[in-house]
Amino acid sequence: MASKLIQIRSFDAENSLEVSLREAFQHLEPRLRPPFPLTIPTQEEYINLNKAILYGILCEPHLAKIHIKHLHAIITDGYCYFTSLVIEVVNELYGKLFDSVKAQLIWVTHEMVNVLAMGFDGLLVALLRQIIGGDFSDGNLWLCFEMVSIFSSKRDFFVEEDEPRVLTSALYVFLRLLADHCRMRNDAKIEALKRMEIDFCVRMLREKFGLCFQVGRDLVRLLQDLVHVPEFRAIWKDLLLNPSAFQTSCFIDISQLYLSRTSSRYFLLRITPEMENQLRFLLTRVKLGSQMRYQVWFGKKFLGVPERETLKIDIVRFICCAHHPSNDVIQSDIIPRWAVIGWLLKSCQRKVVEANVKLALFYDWLFFNEKVDNIMNIEPAMLLMVHSIPKYVDVTHTLLEFLLILVENYDIERKDLIVKGVSSAFVLLVRKGVVQSLDALICFDMLSPLHKQLFERMFTDMLPSLSKRNIVSLPSK
Amino acid sequence: MQTLRDIVPAAQNNINSKFVLLEKGRATLEGQHKTCLALVADETAAVHFQMWGEECDAFEAGDILSLSNGIFSYNRNNNLVLRAGKRGKVHKVGEFTMAFVETPNMSEIRWVPLPSHNTNTNAATYVQDAVLSPHSRIFPPMN
Repeated sequence: MASKLIQIRSFDAENSLEVSLREAFQHLEPRLRPPFPLTIPTQEEYINLNKAILYGILCEPHLAKIHIKHLHAIITDGYCYFTSLVIEVVNELYGKLFDSVKAQLIWVTHEMVNVLAMGFDGLLVALLRQIIGGDFSDGNLWLCFEMVSIFSSKRDFFVEEDEPRVLTSALYVFLRLLADHCRMRNDAKIEALKRMEIDFCVRMLREKFGLCFQVGRDLVRLLQDLVHVPEFRAIWKDLLLNPSAFQTSCFIDISQLYLSRTSSRYFLLRITPEMENQLRFLLTRVKLGSQMRYQVWFGKKFLGVPERETLKIDIVRFICCAHHPSNDVIQSDIIPRWAVIGWLLKSCQRKVVEANVKLALFYDWLFFNEKVDNIMNIEPAMLLMVHSIPKYVDVTHTLLEFLLILVENYDIERKDLIVKGVSSAFVLLVRKGVVQSLDALICFDMLSPLHKQLFERMFTDMLPSLSKRNIVSLPSK
Repeated sequence: MQTLRDIVPAAQNNINSKFVLLEKGRATLEGQHKTCLALVADETAAVHFQMWGEECDAFEAGDILSLSNGIFSYNRNNNLVLRAGKRGKVHKVGEFTMAFVETPNMSEIRWVPLPSHNTNTNAATYVQDAVLSPHSRIFPPMN
């Protein structure tokens, strides 16, 4: 029997998940039609019945209602195993599923939400991860639409059921997608979708700001890209000038958001599991010097069209904040994180994307606080600057200049806070030995006198401890 | 499963291995059939792999392939290549997540038949004679 679940091309090997679902279905098919037996299945039968019913729901849309009734009747584990199977299908097979199967997948997701199945939040997150940034294909826009529909219609339900995490995840995803969708002006195809995404995000921010606050500082980074959209411009103004508008008593200033680190799980939301696997493989198994072919393959598969370029911003946030290599890897000859980021940065075509990639790289520097922040989040930027000096001094130069411009201009009203953040970042990186001193950075001749002055003026307090004294105490290489 | 470093030319469909496709050459017609030379590799070695017919379009660089009952021998142009052959099969089992080396390249080694060995069968046993090039001369490393 050919698979009704996934498209298998003539030279593809069998997929073990597809085989296990299909075989369970073939084996149990006679038992999937009413009247259903009243006997209680053994543990093994229960597992196979779950698999068979899932295959039936996904591949026999005309019988889906019968299958789901059957499922509801046999369930004894709060749907825990069933949702874990659906999640596996999403993570492993989504891209290969037939369109009719994808539609059924959304239908069964609604069902799992309605019965509050154990693990339904994980299922929603898995589906959110399949929406690809910078992808305007019909299939991808369809998934956006289905997901924003679920979240818009179930928002209050999630609030009541105390599932804030799934809502803040959706907020993060749709704010990020809006940055893509709002760049496409007057495109009828996405106009309705954009409207729904805006409505969902604006309602969340206006009515449930206390929840939204949990996202942390990257909420500000995402909102910044939407400042040209009237609804978000108003929110942005209130964030800066009128925080009481959000009716969240403990929120009195945007700096509270700046100082709250964004959990790494948000960055995973904008990387598909396949991208995550490949990036993690690159960063744990591929030796420095052998990465070229892998970079070409990754680029061709995930960054092939110009619109996809915005994905680089998400990838840099993922690498800085969600992929922290072990000491063994750090001390080995595996390609370091800064080198991969350097590749992404160098390959940027559009200036606006390049600026956002740099912002993503430095974002945790601006508000760095040793007590809540992780040195691993700021390490790649520092090492990229230092290691680029010998061969790509222009990279060092533009990065350092970008950082200085950020400090000067990112939030003029709260410049002290940012100076403090960046200083703390520099101090900790030297103290922990990530670099021996800042001399290599600030002494090199490429930095314009203006920026050198700016640097010295901005960081007068910390410079003595990071530069001159170290020249004396540390032997030069 | 054999690693590529252990394959030896032979007139038999005896190679079972897994490797990643690094680069594809241009497809050409050999009679009525399309054929295409490619560079494949695993953690131990690389080798030239000859694809045939539909295989040429089915696989792309970065694909991880599994070969069963393949053959490592000289083709019509007297190049030493690995291929599925009529009795073997090649399938795509994954993408990207496989480490590889480009040196040695088993097709860039000169092999000689072991003298006076296996006299009761016609099949010669080959041994390595010399390294012609440390890496593929058709698909040089990308650095």
